Amino acid sequence: MDTNGFGQSAVAAKVSRRQLVKTSALTAGAMALASKIDVNYALAQDEGPVKIGWLGDRTGDFSLVGVQKYAAAELAVKELNEKGGILGREVQLVAEDAQSDNRRYQEMARKLLLQDKIDVLHACFTSAGREAIRPIIDQNKAIFFYNNQYEGGVCDNYVFPTGCVPDHQVVPFMPAVMDKFGKRVYTIAADYNFGQLTAAWCKKFVEANGGEVIGEEFIPLDVSQFSTTITNIQNAAPDILIVLLVGIKQSSFYEQKNSAGMQVPMATTVNMGQAYEHKRFPAPALSNMYVTVNFMEELAEGLGTDFPERVRSVAPDLEYVGMECAAEYEGINMYALGAEKAGTTEKDAVRKALESGISFEGPGGTVSIDPATHHTVRNIYMVHADENHNIVLDETFEAVRPDWLSADMGCDLPNKPDNTQYEP
Amino acid sequence: MFDGLFNWFYQFQVSFSFLLLSAIGLAVIFGMMGVINLAHGEFMMLGAYATTFLAVKGVPLALAILIGALAVGVFGAVIEMLVIRRLYGRLLDSVAATWAIGLILSQGMLILTGPSIQGVSSPFGSFSVGAISYSWYRIVLGVVSLLLIAGLYILFMKTEFGLRARATIQNQPIARSLGVDTARMYTLTFALGSALAGLAGGLFAPTATIVPFFGTNYTVEAFVTVIVGGANALVGTPLAAASLGVINAALGTKYGLYIARVGLLLTTIVIIRVLPTGISGLVERWRMRPARQR
Amino acid sequence: MPRRTSWLSAENIAFVIFLIFMIVYPFRTDDFGILNAAYFAALTLLALSLSMIWGKAGILSFGQTAFFGIGGYLYGIYTLNVLGSAQTWVGLAVGMLAGGIVAAILGWFMFYGGVNDVFVGLTTLALTLVLQTFMAQTAGPEWTVGEARLNGYNGMYIPQLSFGEMPLYGRPLYFVYLAILIGVYLLLRWLSSTRWGYGLLALQENRPRTESFGYNVRLMQVQVFALAGVVAALSGVLYASWGGYIDPSSMGLTAAITPVIYVAIGGRRSLTASMISSMILLKLSQLLASSAPEYALVIFGLLALLAVLFVPEGFVVALFNLIDRHLLNRGGGNLPGMTAPVEEVTANG
Repeated sequence: MDTNGFGQSAVAAKVSRRQLVKTSALTAGAMALASKIDVNYALAQDEGPVKIGWLGDRTGDFSLVGVQKYAAAELAVKELNEKGGILGREVQLVAEDAQSDNRRYQEMARKLLLQDKIDVLHACFTSAGREAIRPIIDQNKAIFFYNNQYEGGVCDNYVFPTGCVPDHQVVPFMPAVMDKFGKRVYTIAADYNFGQLTAAWCKKFVEANGGEVIGEEFIPLDVSQFSTTITNIQNAAPDILIVLLVGIKQSSFYEQKNSAGMQVPMATTVNMGQAYEHKRFPAPALSNMYVTVNFMEELAEGLGTDFPERVRSVAPDLEYVGMECAAEYEGINMYALGAEKAGTTEKDAVRKALESGISFEGPGGTVSIDPATHHTVRNIYMVHADENHNIVLDETFEAVRPDWLSADMGCDLPNKPDNTQYEP
Repeated sequence: MFDGLFNWFYQFQVSFSFLLLSAIGLAVIFGMMGVINLAHGEFMMLGAYATTFLAVKGVPLALAILIGALAVGVFGAVIEMLVIRRLYGRLLDSVAATWAIGLILSQGMLILTGPSIQGVSSPFGSFSVGAISYSWYRIVLGVVSLLLIAGLYILFMKTEFGLRARATIQNQPIARSLGVDTARMYTLTFALGSALAGLAGGLFAPTATIVPFFGTNYTVEAFVTVIVGGANALVGTPLAAASLGVINAALGTKYGLYIARVGLLLTTIVIIRVLPTGISGLVERWRMRPARQR
Repeated sequence: MPRRTSWLSAENIAFVIFLIFMIVYPFRTDDFGILNAAYFAALTLLALSLSMIWGKAGILSFGQTAFFGIGGYLYGIYTLNVLGSAQTWVGLAVGMLAGGIVAAILGWFMFYGGVNDVFVGLTTLALTLVLQTFMAQTAGPEWTVGEARLNGYNGMYIPQLSFGEMPLYGRPLYFVYLAILIGVYLLLRWLSSTRWGYGLLALQENRPRTESFGYNVRLMQVQVFALAGVVAALSGVLYASWGGYIDPSSMGLTAAITPVIYVAIGGRRSLTASMISSMILLKLSQLLASSAPEYALVIFGLLALLAVLFVPEGFVVALFNLIDRHLLNRGGGNLPGMTAPVEEVTANG
């Protein structure tokens, strides 16, 4: 049951070994229980409310984004019920708080699946949280929507990663910023999987477009003082600084580089869109920060959507409506469309319906599920913050396809079951 | 050459002042009362919140920091009277109690103010040496740390309060029998330590994100510095901050922050083994030696 | 100071009731309840490990999670490299052994170096934080041990303990975990009633005096610390196998401090109290997390604070003492060391 991904370089022997471990270990346990679970589900599934499970971080380190995602789930469920529910059945939101704690993710995922018998799980913010519950999801053959930006590469029959991946954010982004500012790039990234993998993606596409990565620093998650890093960057004098910092502690970087007087254009895939750093830090700490997003509150007017107002109708105190808020809303609605199309909430049927190509008109434009990889085809907006932290739209990339997994890694879920996370 | 030297000095004094300011409140309480205040980080958080609230309302930053420190000091005195006082001589219980207080404070702040509040910018702008620009505010923090050590030295060595306080640490029963109100001394000491934590929080507020978990940013550094420094806040803590500052700045500049972080923690483990009582224990022994020879 | 005590005490009665409850419970609950209780049993071993060194030998470790993590990771590395269901049990032994060896080395390093009291707590805390920071950055493919990819903060996938071709799941899993928990508990209780165990009690009251009675204090400290390391590592192995997963945050600050709180609330001097309170508090913390997420941690902190302030010997131990005194007519409780107020050594110096 090894899904930790040896990547494409893995030789055939390793792959078969992985299959062996996988089948001999976890899945057998699921089969042992399958008969029992199926009986329970058969009883539960086509009557009573449709249960949407939600698991995220309403408290703890990641609650800045978690509360946005929870509000989106509340809104989506409310609207579905106003439209008559799913398959004419009432929609019920069963939410648990994982408190930004991976262990709690595991406990609560099991509770939602085994005790509450939810029909679908919409969960997780960090990749660590996602990986913590993925064995449990696979074991129970559930449907798991991971409506969140991440480092990409998850090819898993039971998982629908509907948020942005490097295909969306890095591939069109790198040439665009390099055209603007120059070819010498310096990367600072959080020292864990997300940061390291996204940095690898950036490096690949900086070099593919004739640029050069002149420095790379990986920073432990609990570091909040960046004095030496700021000096190291200034010594290297890059044209663009790629910032892949994560979490509350690391976001202190912006104010510190600002007060040290460092002026360099920055590019990122995570900041501003998720945790609204441009609102939380006084200008001009994030001026000239470029990011690619699927949605941001400031884009709503241009996109002609009243999504932020609708979210605030269920969560009046919400400070920001960011990219993951929109992704969560779209994910839940895509599940609803899938269940309607399948005509049942029976999981295999819904999964097949989702794999037939579902499209939803979301706050950020049309989103559709790519059958081969379970990722999404969606519009991407390149924006930056000006010196007053106003958001300026630079470029729109329409219907960007997440093709790397299928084209380069051979991920083809409907025909080739898998549960690996591939790496570039 | 000068650019390089200045850069090195700057990095060192930044590390030094952050370690010192983070640790000094913890060190005062630990050194004088033997109490490990696990809510130290949350006290810093309170200082940062108070400072930010006031500064955003238009109070000058320096005044806001002072008011914040004072408020946290008062809060510390209340906590001492309600909780800590009952736990003297029960070190491990006071650890558990202060952990619980910290949890209540950070989570309570999350409920009251939400996940984050708008911060204030660092004042004073920047300056350049060679190709590299630096923050004036960091220099100011360094100066404030030195002033703080001087102030604490005067407070403990030259005032009536200091005399009574030192008497209380040295031998609590005898101090009490000589008419020192030791319970009051403990309250005041805890309040002082809390105020120093609040001061550090207020000083760091313009450099960091203001969130309910603000304190955890500095907890590890604070504990590491106190362990290395030992029980004497006046001697041990500055020396510990200085030596760890050298390690942190050198490793950080050369190998990046990851190695710096690991280096800091490993140094601490080794120091505990080699000098279980920290640098102040070493200084103590060195001072006692001539006395015995005489 | 061993004295003859009747087996009829509140502590023993509580243990029997606890055991009966734990045996009946899986037949009265659903799949989730069974797996969840097994998971609590795995984590409760960590509380037992802490109670053994803190309550019985006066060694407070803030970083038992270091050995927990070592156990979990080593189990994973072994079972990913050596396939086969029988090998998962060898992996369990490998994990425990690794935890014990690291604990013995660290114990030797500390106790023979004169490190004691609160500094032991801080050293172990530093160790667990170093391990967490180190494991968090092992995301790249270069961090691979044989077939096992450490995989940094995203955590490592791990095969489960298995019999034949069947991984443990449901009730069999539960009863294996329960048997291990009860077995370890009985072993630790027996050990603390031996001459060696009473020596530990003596050294926590007064190290120099115990030494002058001819006990090798440092060796005993290293022994008990290594033993607790083995138990903590076992806890880590069972946890890793339960979820098929382990990640660096299981060695982080929150994970490290939680068992300390559970044991403090229950009563560190009694293994029974620590075990029962850990099971109850794990459940309580889970209930709070689902019913009042915003307030969960506040309420939990408040409970811990009240316990420490008003019931310093621990809630469960206080209850034992009450029952012993009023219902069983036993003087002051049978828990060794509870009769006299204990001066803890402060760390001035």
